[in-house]
Amino acid sequence: MKDYDIIVVGAGPGGSIAAMEAASRGLKTVFFERGRKPGEKNSSGCGLGPRMWQDFRFMTELTPDSCPSMRAGAASRSYFVNKQGVVAGYVMARPTESVSYEPAKSFITMNVYRSDFDPWLATYATNAGAELKTSTLVTGLMREDGRVTGVIDEHGEKYRGLVIGADGVVSMVARECGLRKRWGQDHVTLIPQYDYAVDPRKIDDIMGDETLAVWWSALFPAAYHVFFHDGFHIGLGNWMTWWDKNPLSYLNQVVNLEYFKRLVRILDARPREYHVHLLPWQGTPTDTHADNVILVGDAAGVPCPLEAEGIYPAMMTGRAAAETAAEAISAGDRSKEFLDLYDRKWQQTSVGEEFKTGPELAHIWRALPFSPKETMTWFVPMIMEILGGILDWSQPHAVRVRQVMRQVKSYLPQAVPFLVKEVMPLLQAILGDKMELLTSPEKLMASMPELQEAVASAFEEKEGSS
Amino acid sequence: MKPDIDALVTRIPGSVDFIQLDSAKCNQCGRCLVVCTMNLWRKRGNKVFLANDYKSRCLECGACYQVCEADAIDFHYPSGGKGVVYERG
Ligand SMILES: Cc1cc2nc3c(=O)[nH]c(=O)nc-3n(C[C@H](O)[C@H](O)[C@H](O)COP(=O)(O)OP(=O)(O)OC[C@H]3O[C@@H](n4cnc5c(N)ncnc54)[C@H](O)[C@@H]3O)c2cc1C
Repeated sequence: MKDYDIIVVGAGPGGSIAAMEAASRGLKTVFFERGRKPGEKNSSGCGLGPRMWQDFRFMTELTPDSCPSMRAGAASRSYFVNKQGVVAGYVMARPTESVSYEPAKSFITMNVYRSDFDPWLATYATNAGAELKTSTLVTGLMREDGRVTGVIDEHGEKYRGLVIGADGVVSMVARECGLRKRWGQDHVTLIPQYDYAVDPRKIDDIMGDETLAVWWSALFPAAYHVFFHDGFHIGLGNWMTWWDKNPLSYLNQVVNLEYFKRLVRILDARPREYHVHLLPWQGTPTDTHADNVILVGDAAGVPCPLEAEGIYPAMMTGRAAAETAAEAISAGDRSKEFLDLYDRKWQQTSVGEEFKTGPELAHIWRALPFSPKETMTWFVPMIMEILGGILDWSQPHAVRVRQVMRQVKSYLPQAVPFLVKEVMPLLQAILGDKMELLTSPEKLMASMPELQEAVASAFEEKEGSS
Repeated sequence: MKPDIDALVTRIPGSVDFIQLDSAKCNQCGRCLVVCTMNLWRKRGNKVFLANDYKSRCLECGACYQVCEADAIDFHYPSGGKGVVYERG
């Protein structure tokens, strides 16, 4: 038996930050990783948002020396694929005029392979004094007098201390302490993804500072395409309830699009790895802690309800968990009731902010890009009718405008119910009783200041934060 | 084009068994057969079973465990330091 103050299961972003924050408070901390090194079991190699640089000052120390895969850029691309598998159009976008956080004007995401990023992050925990045990699977929780008092590893070694479950989406800690055996099938997604190798110069020449693309489609759930220093990921996901056949067959539809194949040719890209991973994606995290146990990151179900960004929420909840644990230890109270403090802490952060409209955000996403057959079959041609319809010299322009309008009108029987069912509840949640303004244009115009105020108070914008 | 999946996966062999099916609990719903991108679950007649070579092909995603509402599939990660390695994950 070994005694610690804090035992962290998992050395992903949630675990490393929890271990770093605990150790830097002088708590005796150990964190476990089943891989030979952190990151070699993770597959989300993807976007880190500018928020992370705001909340974690050491992010400025992330350099190509420590993280060779990193690639940042300001632009993203949205492809619209119709049900014939044709790219009916695409839009490139840069940070818009309304972006207020200065660094976010120059990059939307910093893309890194987790096999680079996670080991780098873990060094901040070990430098703070936390002990890292790699190649070690934690297999169970230790109980004394019926209470969870620590963990047991695969060799039967016991470790006593307050347990932070940072063990990801299939969380042994959540299961063994009775919080959750498995997710509801509509609270978790499955994501297959390919990694392709590409010469960095080709990426620079062909993609410029575009770092990611989304393939919105009527054939498959929205696919994401993310560029790293010397390669890219192409992947897609959907909730467990959605799949009707092997999820990989949908991903293979993406890589078989003529347009995608052409891109692969001009980039001279080669498939390099195949990954598959689960990712919690839900409107409201629940059951985040129990007596002597706190869950963080994916284990707690905190990825952003709209886009499932999960690294930053894992780090923020890792920090909140370590702070809570420190207070629990000094108060001598590790009960679930005391640890309720944890929820209050993370809910006050920008992660908590996301979940104020969580169910509505999660729902709208599910109904749009993740419902390719139901929604994207009309959404893609409708968007393209508007974007591309006018660039046509086959008729006098007045005739074309009428044709475009008629065509757009033909989508209204699908678009209007969608707006009512999916978009209105979101606006309702954001605007509250100011919602009635939207239904009356005159009132709306007359009360713009009030509307602004409503939006501001809905998001509880603080003085000077925007 | 259909990339050869197995050629795209690196693995360190030597784990103990980490997936078990309790056939008595299995209700043959077939969800595990659908979600396993490696096609490691099979059905013969009304019996579901796991491929014999699953340890050398499984990507440890846990999807089979997650979808098994009958709670017939037990899943743990492979032994520490063993199993799939993502170098560009
Ligand atoms: C394909 C994909 C794309 C994504 N894209 C993005 C993105 O662009 N941006 C973003 O922010 N998020 C993204 N996410 C989400 C993000 O990956 C997760 O939310 C994030 O990794 C959660 O961090 P975590 O620390 O909670 O868990 P994890 O990163 O899963 O870390 C858990 C760690 O614990 C270890 N472990 C698990 N069980 C045990 C055990 N019993 N004993 C010892 N060690 C154990 C694991 O090996 C792992 O290293 C994506 C996810 C996927 C699947």
